[in-house]
Amino acid sequence: MTTLYLTEHFASDDYQRLDGYKRQGGYEAAKRALGEMEPAAVIELLQAAGLQGRGGAGFSTGLKWSFMPEDSEGPKYLVCNADESEPGSFKDRILMERGPHQVLEGILIAAFAIGAEKTFLYIRGEYAEPARILEQAIEEAYAKKVLGKNVLGTGFRHDVVLQRGAGAYICGEETGLLESLEGKKGQPRKKPPYPAQHGAFGRPTTVNNVETFCHVPHIVNRGADWFRGIGTEKSPGSTLFGVSGHVVRPGLFELPLGTPLDEIVFEHAGGIHDGLRVKGVIPGGLSMPVLPANQLDVPMANESLRERGTMLGTGGVIVMDETTCMVRVACVVTYFFRDESCGQCTQCREGTGWMHKIVERIERGAGKPGDLELLLDVAAKMEGQTICAFSDAAAWPVQGLLRHFREDFEAHIREARCPFLESFDL
Amino acid sequence: MARITVDGIPLEVEDGAMLLEALDDAGVLMRDVTIPHYCWHPKLSIDGSCRLCQVEIEGAPKLQIACNTPVEDGMVVHTENERVAAARAGVTEMLLVNHPLDCPICDQAGECKLQDYAFEYGALQSRTREPRRALAKNVDVGPTIVLDQERCILCRRCVRFCREVPGTGELVVRGRGDRSVIDTFPDEPLDNPYSMNVADLCPVGALTTKDFRFKIRVWFLEDVPGICTGCARGCNVYLGVADNKVQRYQPRRNDAVNDTWICDAGRLSYKEIGAADRLSTAMLRGDLGVLEVVGFRDALQAAADRLTRVRQARGASRIGVVASPHATNEDLFVLRRFCDALGVETAGVAVVRGDADDLLLHAEKAANAAGARAMGFEDAAAVCEKLRRGALDALLVAGHDLLDAAYLGGVDGLGDLDTVVWLDTHVSDLQRVADVVLPTRVAAERTGTYTNATGHVQRVTPAVEPAFDARAEGAVIAALGQALHLDGFEVGFDARETSRALSEGVPLFRGRSFDAVGDAGLPLEEEA
Ligand SMILES: Cc1cc2nc3c(=O)[nH]c(=O)nc-3n(C[C@H](O)[C@H](O)[C@H](O)COP(=O)(O)O)c2cc1C
Ligand code: SF4
Ligand code: SF4
Ligand code: SF4
Ligand code: FES
Repeated sequence: MTTLYLTEHFASDDYQRLDGYKRQGGYEAAKRALGEMEPAAVIELLQAAGLQGRGGAGFSTGLKWSFMPEDSEGPKYLVCNADESEPGSFKDRILMERGPHQVLEGILIAAFAIGAEKTFLYIRGEYAEPARILEQAIEEAYAKKVLGKNVLGTGFRHDVVLQRGAGAYICGEETGLLESLEGKKGQPRKKPPYPAQHGAFGRPTTVNNVETFCHVPHIVNRGADWFRGIGTEKSPGSTLFGVSGHVVRPGLFELPLGTPLDEIVFEHAGGIHDGLRVKGVIPGGLSMPVLPANQLDVPMANESLRERGTMLGTGGVIVMDETTCMVRVACVVTYFFRDESCGQCTQCREGTGWMHKIVERIERGAGKPGDLELLLDVAAKMEGQTICAFSDAAAWPVQGLLRHFREDFEAHIREARCPFLESFDL
Repeated sequence: MARITVDGIPLEVEDGAMLLEALDDAGVLMRDVTIPHYCWHPKLSIDGSCRLCQVEIEGAPKLQIACNTPVEDGMVVHTENERVAAARAGVTEMLLVNHPLDCPICDQAGECKLQDYAFEYGALQSRTREPRRALAKNVDVGPTIVLDQERCILCRRCVRFCREVPGTGELVVRGRGDRSVIDTFPDEPLDNPYSMNVADLCPVGALTTKDFRFKIRVWFLEDVPGICTGCARGCNVYLGVADNKVQRYQPRRNDAVNDTWICDAGRLSYKEIGAADRLSTAMLRGDLGVLEVVGFRDALQAAADRLTRVRQARGASRIGVVASPHATNEDLFVLRRFCDALGVETAGVAVVRGDADDLLLHAEKAANAAGARAMGFEDAAAVCEKLRRGALDALLVAGHDLLDAAYLGGVDGLGDLDTVVWLDTHVSDLQRVADVVLPTRVAAERTGTYTNATGHVQRVTPAVEPAFDARAEGAVIAALGQALHLDGFEVGFDARETSRALSEGVPLFRGRSFDAVGDAGLPLEEEA
């Protein structure tokens, strides 16, 4: 197994605390970046390392930072996206609970690189424990002059404000988050303008995921080449795979990008429980298209997953055994997206509801010939035309399930009932 | 400026402007270039939510929404190809998934954008088997508006309007996903002086005015361009006419005057046109001291006789004139000439004042106070002062209830006059003292021009014909002048002729004749 770096010290009890974190070399990277480097050099370093954002879209972090205007009058902001609302994802929670200072150190370096004077750490409302731990860490950081007027004696000033959300999937989308942060209803903003021009409170803003920040100190410490030495050429570094579902050992595994999915499922997560066979695996959180059992030999990296018609997303691996009714899965998935759509865009507002109604009807045994074509057509109409990617995220899983498990749907329609009634409790 | 090509049409538009707005400003939107849209409105902030205005822009991998895509030099746009058509059809189908298909009973039928676009881009058959979402009907959101939530397509124009125009923000979107509805907060009804504009804005039949709801099918209406005469703003309206009756006012866009809004009071002022208290007969105070109905000609002749008598006995300086701020520029021009020819020394105009705001509502509650002043009618205080002193024997009053305290505090001495000739549209207390009563026409029954508070000259054309003998004020004055054998009153009144004479005779009105100002109006000529 390759080196762990994100979670290397998570087992040590005092890593949560500033002293313990420092004992493991914590805040050395921040000292170096803030004290010895130019902001542009930090951005360059990140670009050279090729870190891709870990919030789901996989956008180049260094490139994103470079979009921030260099000379703008007034404040610039950094936002840490700790909403982690994608079902199947729980990595950010562990990162915050176990290594809150690793998150803060990444934030400090990013803030320095983009010239932000304040970070809003937006955390989902349900994450009470991580919020408490972060609060404690922020307090400690202020007390030890890691945050505030003169960060680590470098003259850089930075404040971190923790903001708890109220629990809405769409508040994880970066502009929905900004609206919520500003105290408004959580709904994505139309673009342009982009956050780098007009973000939180109208100021230039960069939004990054919790895990994304966690990689940054390690890249500063060990360099771009080291980072590129892990993972694949196009998807460097490690990431946290959160495995849930019908596996023997569900949990969080830090592994290099490119680790084959079957290795994750069968080795790290211990395979399928009760000796059953796997039926399908959602590789990256609920919104990503499912892969059937015969396609698990795929390396878990953006480029290779895309070839199979799916994506890495948040790395939340959801495993389903052979007893699973994929129509039932579609029903749950569409219910979720119907419930969480913010309702602004016509296709998303109406399409999520329509899809759910159709799938629910099929599951009930009232499916009709033509329903599956209709479902695919509705999904197609929801794709690529809306304010945010939620609509795509709602369409993809349905498309994936129909692509690989059409037989389940057809059986429901043919038999006018669910052939998997035993699969799990309705 | 940026040079762009839209469907092969080369255009020069403002660089950086949003595509839809640029096309609208260039006057080609929905004429040469068709981009259907729901949420975009030229006078509201961009929402970008309906997703109907998608177009293909060469070089961009995805379709883009025209309402929120800045124009760049060299941009090549396609609005009519297959991809765009598919997107439009997709959005249209989605909108109909839950929309009640009740056009036959919907009050918006005939001017509903959903109906129009469904016809244009929709499928022939619905593919939905699912029950439609049932939402509240007939929601009483405030004193002027009713909401049918299930018809709403959530374009949020109404929400943005309330936030951005009156600034009151009563309407909100409650809920998420397909449970989103437009609503008000409990005990915060939609109640502001501009509330009824939301019914015009609403592209579908979700918001309707209580006033117009179920009154008449819109396809029976003829929309006649005109202006509201409720105050000195002179907001541009369409008068919706059927059966020789004005059934409603709707705002008509004029960026120089009222953007696309009108106030609720002005909107409802159409009711005055056919009101029961219209002055509908010429009258003459007979020997018994009561007003008797007479023919228009007889009343005119009596007025001329009485004025002649006063002039011969005591001189024209004993005749006072109060001009109407509700009259047209042409009427006032004729009246001015009449005063000069007759030798009237005391003439003025009085304007009722009331509420004003920063948006449209003007304190002067008359459409043409500025026109009267431009024609040399100063404040009527001088007339009243003479009246009180007993320095007048005859008074010609047009369009005023001088006895109403709102004008000049009520005027004493009116009853002592030898002669009061009164021209007006509606019954008022002046009836008590008038000797000759001559019914006149309201703006909706007129041809002529008005000058609003900012000096914008605008025109009206007849939308309805009064059911009784009422005449244009200018026509009455011209006939009086003729009966008095005044110089320059040899021929009768013709509004367009007079308008031409006015534009040639009064420098401020140069080039501002009825024909020249067009439907959009023109500002007064700069004072030399
Ligand atoms: C519907 C939706 C939900 C999202 N939820 C999250 C989330 O919970 N956490 C997160 O970090 N990013 C989420 N994202 C992605 C963010 O919009 C954004 O891309 C990300 O925070 C950027 O960070 P990164 O570049 O570090 O990945 C979501 C995106 C969409 C479309
Ligand atoms: S795509 Fe869906 S979630 Fe995103 S803005 Fe539109 S309606 Fe809201
Ligand atoms: S009520 Fe009308 S204007 Fe308001 S959001 Fe609905 S459709 Fe749009
Ligand atoms: S502001 Fe004045 S002119 Fe405009 S609609 Fe209201 S009353 Fe009529
Ligand atoms: S008009 Fe452009 S999205 Fe609605």
